Amino acid sequence: MTAPTAPVFDIQRFSIHDGPGIRSLVFLKGCGLNCPWCQNPESQSARPVIGFHRSRCMESFECESVCPNKAIVRGGQRVDHDLCSRCCKCVEVCPTEALQLIGETIGPRDLLDRLLVDRAYYDSSGGGVTFTGGEPTLHAAFLTRALELCAEAGIHTNIETAGKFAWPDLEPALRLADLIYFDLKILDPDAHHQVLGHDLGGILDNARRLADGGFPVEFRMPAVPGYTDTIPNIDAVAAFLHSIGRRELHLLAYHNMGEAKIEVISGDQPRLGLPCYPDDSIRDLRRGFENRGIATI
Amino acid sequence: MERWQPSAEILALRSDHQASRPALGAERAIHYTQFWKRESTNLQPCLLNARALADHLARRTIRIHPGELIVGTHTEHRVGAICHIEKAGWAMLEDLRRFETRPINPIRVDPQAKRTLTRTVVPYWLNKNLAMRAFPLREKVRYVKDQLGAVDHVVNEVGGVAHFLPDYARLINTGTEGLRAKVEQRRAGPGLTDENRDYLDASLVCLDAIDDFGDRYRREAERMGRHDLVEVLQQVPRRPARNLHEALQLIWFFQLLIQIESLDQGVSLGRIDQYLHPFYSVESSSPDFDRGRVGDLFAAFCIKLSEIVPLFSSRVTTYFAGLPSGQAASIGGVDERGHDATNELTFLLLDVIDSFKTRQPNWHARVGAASDPEYVRRVVEVVASGGGSPAIYNDDVIPKAMAERGVDASKVWNYATVGCVEPALPGESFTSSDAAIFNLAFSLELVLGGGHALTSRSAARRPWLADISSTADLMRRIEEVTARRLSELKHSLDAVELSGATHFPTPLSSLTIGGCIENATDSTRGGAIHNASGIQAVGVADLADSVAAIDKLVFRDGTCTLAEMADACATNFRGDDLLLARARKTAKFGNDDPQVDRIAAQLVEMFDRCVSAHTNTRGGRWMPGFYSMTCHHGFGRKMAAMPSGRLAGRPLADGLAPVDGADHLGPTASLNSVTSLDHGRFGNGVNVNIKFDSATVGDDSGRMALEALIRGYFAQGGMQLQINVLDTDLLESAMRDPDSHRNLLVRVSGYCAYFVDLTPEMQQEMIDRTRQHA
Repeated sequence: MTAPTAPVFDIQRFSIHDGPGIRSLVFLKGCGLNCPWCQNPESQSARPVIGFHRSRCMESFECESVCPNKAIVRGGQRVDHDLCSRCCKCVEVCPTEALQLIGETIGPRDLLDRLLVDRAYYDSSGGGVTFTGGEPTLHAAFLTRALELCAEAGIHTNIETAGKFAWPDLEPALRLADLIYFDLKILDPDAHHQVLGHDLGGILDNARRLADGGFPVEFRMPAVPGYTDTIPNIDAVAAFLHSIGRRELHLLAYHNMGEAKIEVISGDQPRLGLPCYPDDSIRDLRRGFENRGIATI
Repeated sequence: MERWQPSAEILALRSDHQASRPALGAERAIHYTQFWKRESTNLQPCLLNARALADHLARRTIRIHPGELIVGTHTEHRVGAICHIEKAGWAMLEDLRRFETRPINPIRVDPQAKRTLTRTVVPYWLNKNLAMRAFPLREKVRYVKDQLGAVDHVVNEVGGVAHFLPDYARLINTGTEGLRAKVEQRRAGPGLTDENRDYLDASLVCLDAIDDFGDRYRREAERMGRHDLVEVLQQVPRRPARNLHEALQLIWFFQLLIQIESLDQGVSLGRIDQYLHPFYSVESSSPDFDRGRVGDLFAAFCIKLSEIVPLFSSRVTTYFAGLPSGQAASIGGVDERGHDATNELTFLLLDVIDSFKTRQPNWHARVGAASDPEYVRRVVEVVASGGGSPAIYNDDVIPKAMAERGVDASKVWNYATVGCVEPALPGESFTSSDAAIFNLAFSLELVLGGGHALTSRSAARRPWLADISSTADLMRRIEEVTARRLSELKHSLDAVELSGATHFPTPLSSLTIGGCIENATDSTRGGAIHNASGIQAVGVADLADSVAAIDKLVFRDGTCTLAEMADACATNFRGDDLLLARARKTAKFGNDDPQVDRIAAQLVEMFDRCVSAHTNTRGGRWMPGFYSMTCHHGFGRKMAAMPSGRLAGRPLADGLAPVDGADHLGPTASLNSVTSLDHGRFGNGVNVNIKFDSATVGDDSGRMALEALIRGYFAQGGMQLQINVLDTDLLESAMRDPDSHRNLLVRVSGYCAYFVDLTPEMQQEMIDRTRQHA
């Protein structure tokens, strides 16, 4: 049997806000939802792509001469993703880092080796590894194996999920994780379907199962103006948390830095044009939840 | 326990201190010149220097300023830059006409003093100063040329040696009386040569001079009706201190006298929370103990240490910006059984560092596996509050590294730090730890330029490059060139050492160093128990990055030939943007890249081999260190572009850290590269400077991350770490409006400085680096 692999589009080290201690964040590519505020638009498709940073390009066009697939185009976004076979010859020859592979396909053992370099800092801080994305649960077999390897190595693990997964596939992984961050977004079923392009039902079932099953799960909500911070949604999120016996919620303030990345991958995600979530609005939001019996973190 | 806060009185004292603009201390130069003219042909060298010092101390202007708790100034001015005219002070007077008007670190000069210096003092020492006496004529010219705008190395010992840990632990319990008894006993003993007798007689002259100097201050205190001070000055410096106030006054007298005699660089305090703890312990058990007052005493002591500013010309300031004087003070650490040695005084001193930020001393905290967790937490909290203090030293690595370099293994638990970062045994070492700073990166330029700077005409054609056909060849050539350059440095340094030992011995300083009285030999002549010289390498990261770039672009990918790379460096990559881009894209030190890190490791091992092959004229070994002061700017200014893509004139990397901006994977990756080098080799210490924006590490999770970063780095063998927590906006406003930000302290390479005292280039470096990590 070949080992499962997954497209990893970044490993961000010395992160101190995605679980306890000093952590490495493993960003897996691919997501089943379609959040318009997505802060990692390059993570939505599971397919690796050659990203293009226009501002770094020196227009030497050596990429053109090495590409075996004639996938380099001089206009637009440089790479025709349909012709591209992701051989990465262009990335190697590019004199700057204008062309960049987004989504390197690697196996769990390789991944562990790359994570272990910060072992001393996980140990000194009580930190570890956080699997995020994209939606890490899309890569169930890979995730399970990676979590097993981390467990063998004694590294604390955290999974960040938006909850859209098939329980039987994910249960082994969920049982291995030391912590699960579960994002609640829009809890009105119609609005959820309309905005995020997927049914809400399965997500809430998974949330409930985790809470009832005694999994180490904590709930989070991205604070996105006009989408998740409406009174009805605050009511719904608070009510749902009460219904599963939870009284705590992490709030994640929206920032718009993800929009700059849309062009890099020739993405078609429309820009929201929203400002970053202001501090005083976050305070109001916290008060809103606290008034409904939910403490915010 | 409640945190100490400075009293209104001590804050007022600091304001007065900060309102005093530095002034040139010319009296020493004038008095020494008069004395030398009169007596230099009549006296043996030790006695000549001792009597000149005594004469100066007897005639010097003294003052006690209102509100002072500890008295005595380094010069006739409150904040003074002393001119050691017989040593490097002579060369610093190249700025005599512009000291007051220069933009960086202006210094006031009394007009009459300026006239005297110009007319009689400077001409007298033209051929009599230490450097000029060191070399025969032809070498003299070469030496002067090399040192004006140095790119190869800077010989610091030309200013004198200093850089040691006076035996304060013993001195506070003996006073000058105890020393005098010891010297007299030795003087009466058998087997003394004329030179020994000259030294011991000089020691007695110095002891009398110290007592007389103390008496002058006692009489001044009497005149002013300061009975509190009179009581202190009746006891010290003659007799053993009876309490903390007397101990600090005694230490301060020695501290300033040593720096008047020899050099105001690196005269360090040692483990101050350890040797003063017995006094603290007695006082704190008394019913009328006033912890606030004791904190104020230490604060007053810090003000005193900050009064000393070095006299640097503008040219020298580029290499040593920020007015460093390197008076290191160590806290924490272990006792002789290896148990944690922190005590209540340690915590009081941390309160002082936290709430009373001053340029000096250079605070160093020893941290190790045995440390009290509460102490480590408090150290991190103080670091996170900004100001760059204390720098942190690894107790689990440094003692071992010292033992491997031949320091008595039974004593290394008691190490303290000298100057910027250099570990040594207190009271018995004369380490000359800052003997010279060596531009290691320049070896590559000389390899490519066939022994010449790349931009020189002699390097226009480069047939020698044909012999270099692999990275191994290149590394061999770099080692040959480095070894040759270090031999040349040794030639210069030996000449400077011998000149200092022959003409300008330092009998007063030698009184405080174990071994000198016993051996009846001055410290400059090898009297101390431990002797060494520290040679620092600068530009390790730039060199590693450049070798890695050549390895990839020339020898693996064949993108260009070595000759083409040399051309590109010589022309600053002009017209070759593509090659420049490719050079910059190659892997860099500071990103956990095994290949570049291995090259860096080979380079530091090579430097260690080349340095450790030498000994100094005092019978001590040369030891490698890795810190740069601000020489990474000074050297970088004079260098051509490098194969790493570093452009001509740009600064080199600071200390042992990666090139600014090259480490893009965050602090753990950066520190992993640093700890991939074997710190056990760095007997003279290292400097690793990392900077954070205060917004990143200001809260509890940020402080947790900082502490974990320190512990993780130490667990992997890191020797030293200094952390700047800076507010970028604040730095920018300080650049625009320096007058409103005189208090803003930052840590440069191995010492703290007021941000406004730095050169604009160094200021920009602090801002850029901070923003990058934000």
